[in-house]
Amino acid sequence: MAEQELVTIEINGIELQVPKGEMIIESAKRIGVDIPFFCYHPRLGKEQAANCRMCLVEAGTKQPDGSVRMMPKPQTSCTLPASQGLVVFTDTVAIQKARRGILEFLLINHPLDCPICDRGGECPLQNNTLFYGPGVSRFVEEKRHLPKAFPISDYVVLDRERCIHCARCTRFSQEISGDAQLEFLKRGADTMVSTFQNTEFTSRFSGNTIELCPVGALTSRVYRFRARPWDMKSQKSICTRCSNGCNIWLDYRPNRLVRVLGRENEAVNEEWTCDRGKFGHEYISSDRRLLSPLVRRDNRFVTASWVEVYQLIASRIRQAVEERGAGAVGAIGGAHLSNEEAYLLQKLMRVAVGTNNIDHRLERNQVAGGDTLLARLGVPFTQTAIADIEKAKTIFIFGADLVDEQPIVFLRARKAWFRFGAKVIIAHPEPTETELRFDEPLVLRYRAGTETTLINGLSHLILQSGRAVTDGISLEELQASLSEYTPARVAQETGVAEDALREAANLLGEGTVILCAGRVRNHPEYAVLANALVNLTLLTGNGSRGNGGLNILLPEVNSHGAADMGVLPDLLPGYVPVNDREARERIERIWKASLPAEPGLSTQGMLEAAAEGKLQVLYVIGEDIAQKYHDPELAQRALENAGFVIVQDLFLTDTAQYADVVLPAASVAEKEGTFTNTERRVQRFWKAMNPPSPDVKPDLNIFAELAVYLGKPLPVFSAEQVMEEIGQVFPAYAECCYDQMPAEGVRWMPTLTDRGK
Amino acid sequence: MITQVAKRFVKTVLPLAQGLSITFRHQPPFHEPITVEYPEQKRPMYPRTRWRHVLRRYDNGLERCIGCSLCAGACPARCIYVEAAENTDEHRFSPGERYARRYEINMLRCIFCGYCQEACPTGAIVLRDDYELADYHRSDFIYTKEMLLEPIPEPQEE
Ligand code: SF4
Ligand code: SF4
Ligand code: SF4
Ligand code: SF4
Ligand code: FES
Repeated sequence: MAEQELVTIEINGIELQVPKGEMIIESAKRIGVDIPFFCYHPRLGKEQAANCRMCLVEAGTKQPDGSVRMMPKPQTSCTLPASQGLVVFTDTVAIQKARRGILEFLLINHPLDCPICDRGGECPLQNNTLFYGPGVSRFVEEKRHLPKAFPISDYVVLDRERCIHCARCTRFSQEISGDAQLEFLKRGADTMVSTFQNTEFTSRFSGNTIELCPVGALTSRVYRFRARPWDMKSQKSICTRCSNGCNIWLDYRPNRLVRVLGRENEAVNEEWTCDRGKFGHEYISSDRRLLSPLVRRDNRFVTASWVEVYQLIASRIRQAVEERGAGAVGAIGGAHLSNEEAYLLQKLMRVAVGTNNIDHRLERNQVAGGDTLLARLGVPFTQTAIADIEKAKTIFIFGADLVDEQPIVFLRARKAWFRFGAKVIIAHPEPTETELRFDEPLVLRYRAGTETTLINGLSHLILQSGRAVTDGISLEELQASLSEYTPARVAQETGVAEDALREAANLLGEGTVILCAGRVRNHPEYAVLANALVNLTLLTGNGSRGNGGLNILLPEVNSHGAADMGVLPDLLPGYVPVNDREARERIERIWKASLPAEPGLSTQGMLEAAAEGKLQVLYVIGEDIAQKYHDPELAQRALENAGFVIVQDLFLTDTAQYADVVLPAASVAEKEGTFTNTERRVQRFWKAMNPPSPDVKPDLNIFAELAVYLGKPLPVFSAEQVMEEIGQVFPAYAECCYDQMPAEGVRWMPTLTDRGK
Repeated sequence: MITQVAKRFVKTVLPLAQGLSITFRHQPPFHEPITVEYPEQKRPMYPRTRWRHVLRRYDNGLERCIGCSLCAGACPARCIYVEAAENTDEHRFSPGERYARRYEINMLRCIFCGYCQEACPTGAIVLRDDYELADYHRSDFIYTKEMLLEPIPEPQEE
C-alpha cells in the first residue's frame, strides 16, 4: 500500500499526526476524545450523510504567523477532513450548548418509550442524552404521533415515532446491500422511513439495519421483548448457516438463545451478517431438540442410557466387521462438525473400525476434494481471500446467485463495484437477484448445460487477443484444444451474443476474481468444467496468488474443514492420498495404528451399497440425508435397507426416522472448537450455554466414548488437545493452536508438499 | 468498718433499686404491656416498611408491570427474573405493547433494599408490610408473578 501523506492537526490542544483527509471524528478516537454522533458510520457510503448534527466541533486553521483563524460556524466532524494546521475544539461552551440543543430538538418528537423499547440499555440516544443532553424538556405540547410497532417484514418492526432520521438504514440498503428498499417519505416533521408503498422489506440483509439504527425505530421481531441488555450474556461464535464463517455474538439468557449480533472481523464479514445468520439460529433453543439417546424397540423409539446405546452400537459394528469386514461399515457426515470433531470422526472410522468408508459430501460432485484445483492451482477450493475480493478489477460471477448462496461474499463483490469501481460480469442461465444489485452488469445468459463451452469460448478469445499469460500452461496444447471454440460457434451453442462474449473476454484479465457456487459444484461434468475454469484463470494471469483467482465457494459451514480433516474416502487429513504409502505411514506413526490402504466408498457409493443391503452399519452424523441428499430417493432406499442405522443429530430428522439408534448431539452454542470457512480461514467458537439436558453430548465426546466401547480408545480431553494433534498430522494447521490463534483466525496457506509429495 | 459496709451498700444496691424501679413502673399494673401476643396480635407497621413485594394493578384491573426488567437491572442481589411478551388485543395484560409473562423474585436472596421499587417506571413493584415470609422448602421462596400480583379490584359500585 502506498505511504499515506500525514498532516499535523490539533485537537483540544493536543497535537497529533493523522493521514490527510481522515475525518476528524476518527482522528479524535485516536487520542481518546469522545465526540458524540448518530448518523456517522465508517462503513456507510463514500460520503457521510451528516444530517444529525450531533458531532459538531469548532474548527480553525493555523495561519503562517501562528494565529488561528476560526471558521465562523461549528463544523460536523464526521465530514471535516484533516488538513495541515487544522485546529479543532470538541468541548467548548458553544459546542456543549449546541449538543444540548440538538438533543432537545431530537427529543421533542421522541416518545418516552425507553422501558418498553428493545433498544433501551444500549441506545445511543439514551447514552448521548445522559452525557450531553439537557436534564429536562421544555416541550410540554402533544408530541408527533405515527404508527408504532409496525411490522415491515417477518424480521423487522418499525416504530416511526422513535426514528431520528439519521438515514443509516436507508444508506445501508442503498449502498451496502444494494436493494434500496428503504427510503424517506415526505418532508419536515412528517419525514418517515418506509419501503416502497409499504411493500414487505424483503432484503436479505435487513437484520443489519436493526443493528445500525441508533434508536429503537427498527427492531427485531424475533428478539422482540425477549431480554434487556443487562439480562443476558454474550459469547463469541461463528455462524453455522453457510460456509462463509461470519463472526457473530450469541446473546443468551439462562439456557435460551435470544439473539445473534454481527461481530467484527475485517477479514470475513466486516461487521455484517445476512438474515439467515442473524435469525437462523433459533434451532439452538428449540423445544424439539433431542434430549436423550433413543433406541428403536418394536418400531417405536424409547429413551435409553448412553451405556446401553454405546454397547449396542459397538456390538453391531463388531458383528458387521467380523461377518463382512470393515467395509460393511460406513459413515456420512462432517460438514456440520467442528474441525476437531471431523478429525476425530475419521480417526474413529479409520483406526477403531478400520474402514475408509467415510464422506461428508451430499452433492453430486464427489471427486476428491477439489482435485483439479488442488493439482493445477495448489488450492483445494478458493484462491482469493474474502477481503481481497474488494481489490478485484473484474468480478466474474459464474453460475451463482450470489446474494442467495453466499450473501457476505456478495457484499464484498458489491463493495468492489460500488466503492472501488470493479467491473462485473454475471453469467447465469436464468435472471437472478444478484443481477439487480449492480447497475447494468455485463450479463451472459447462456443455456444451462453449456457452461464448459462458454468458459472455453472466453479462453479462446483471450488466447486470440494475445493477452494470454502463458506461464504454467503449455500453450500449444491449449490452443489446439480450444481452437474449435470459435466465438461464432460458442455464441450459437450458448445463446450468448458474440459481442457480449468479446466484451466479457476484454474485461477478464489480471485481477479477475471468478466466483462460482452450487451450479459449478453440482455440474454433471465437474472435472471438465473445473479444468476449463482453471485454464481461464491461468490464461488471465491469476494462477499465482495475486488478488485475482478462481473460487469455488462451498455449501456448508465446515465443508472445507471436513475436507481438510480427511473426511473423504480417498484422502487422509491434509489431502494425503490413502494409497500413498510413505505419507500414510507418517500418519500411522503419529496415530500409532495401522490404516486401511484401499480408498473407501464415497457417499454415493455407500448409499448405493446400503440400498443393495451390502452395508451393515450406516452412521449418519448431523446430516439429514433423507431430505438433503441430491438424490433423496436413493438416500431413503439406503436408509431402509441398511442393516443398522445410527443417526447423530440435534433433532429427530426425517433421516432419524429410519434410525435404529438416535444420539442427541450438542449444538454449536454448547461446545467449543473451530470451523474452517470457504477461504480456508480457521476460526474459533466458544461454548456459551449448557446443553438442554445433561444427556446431550458434544460430538467430540460421543466419538471418543464410542472408540472406548469399540476397544480402541482415542484419548481426548479437550478440543484444544485435538487441535494440537491435527497440527502434527497436517502441518498447515500448526498455527491454529488455541492459545496462539489471532482474533481474526488463521487462513492456512497450502503448499503442494502438504499433499505428502 | 461499718461506714465502709454502708458505703458499699449505697454504691451497689441503691442503683439496682433505682433501675428496677423503672422496670416496675413499666409493668402492669402501673403501665400497659408493651409486648403483643404475636401471632394472635400484630403490631401496625410504619407506612414505609419494606417487606414482601406486591405487583400492583391499575384501577381498571390491568397490570401495571410492563416487563421492562428495570427492577431486575437495579436489584443488587440479582434476584428478580423477568420475561416479557407482547400484548395483543385479545390477550391484554397491561396497557401498551409489553407485559411480563414471567416475573419471579427469589425471596431468599432479596435483601429488601427497595431498589426495585425505586427503579420501576410504572409503580408496579412495591414492598409492603407483610413480613411473614418463613417457609419450609427452598423452592417455595421463588415468588411467582401469580403470587405477587394484587387481586383484581372489585368493580366500584356507583
Ligand atoms: S430509542 Fe432509545 S431513547 Fe428512544 S425510547 Fe428507545 S431506548 Fe428510549
Ligand atoms: S429508522 Fe433508525 S436508522 Fe433509519 S433513519 Fe430512522 S433512526 Fe435512522
Ligand atoms: S428489594 Fe432489593 S434485593 Fe429485594 S428484589 Fe428489590 S431490589 Fe432486589
Ligand atoms: S415491576 Fe416495574 S421495573 Fe420491574 S419489570 Fe415490571 S414495570 Fe419494569
Ligand atoms: S454524525 Fe456527524 S452529522 Fe451525524
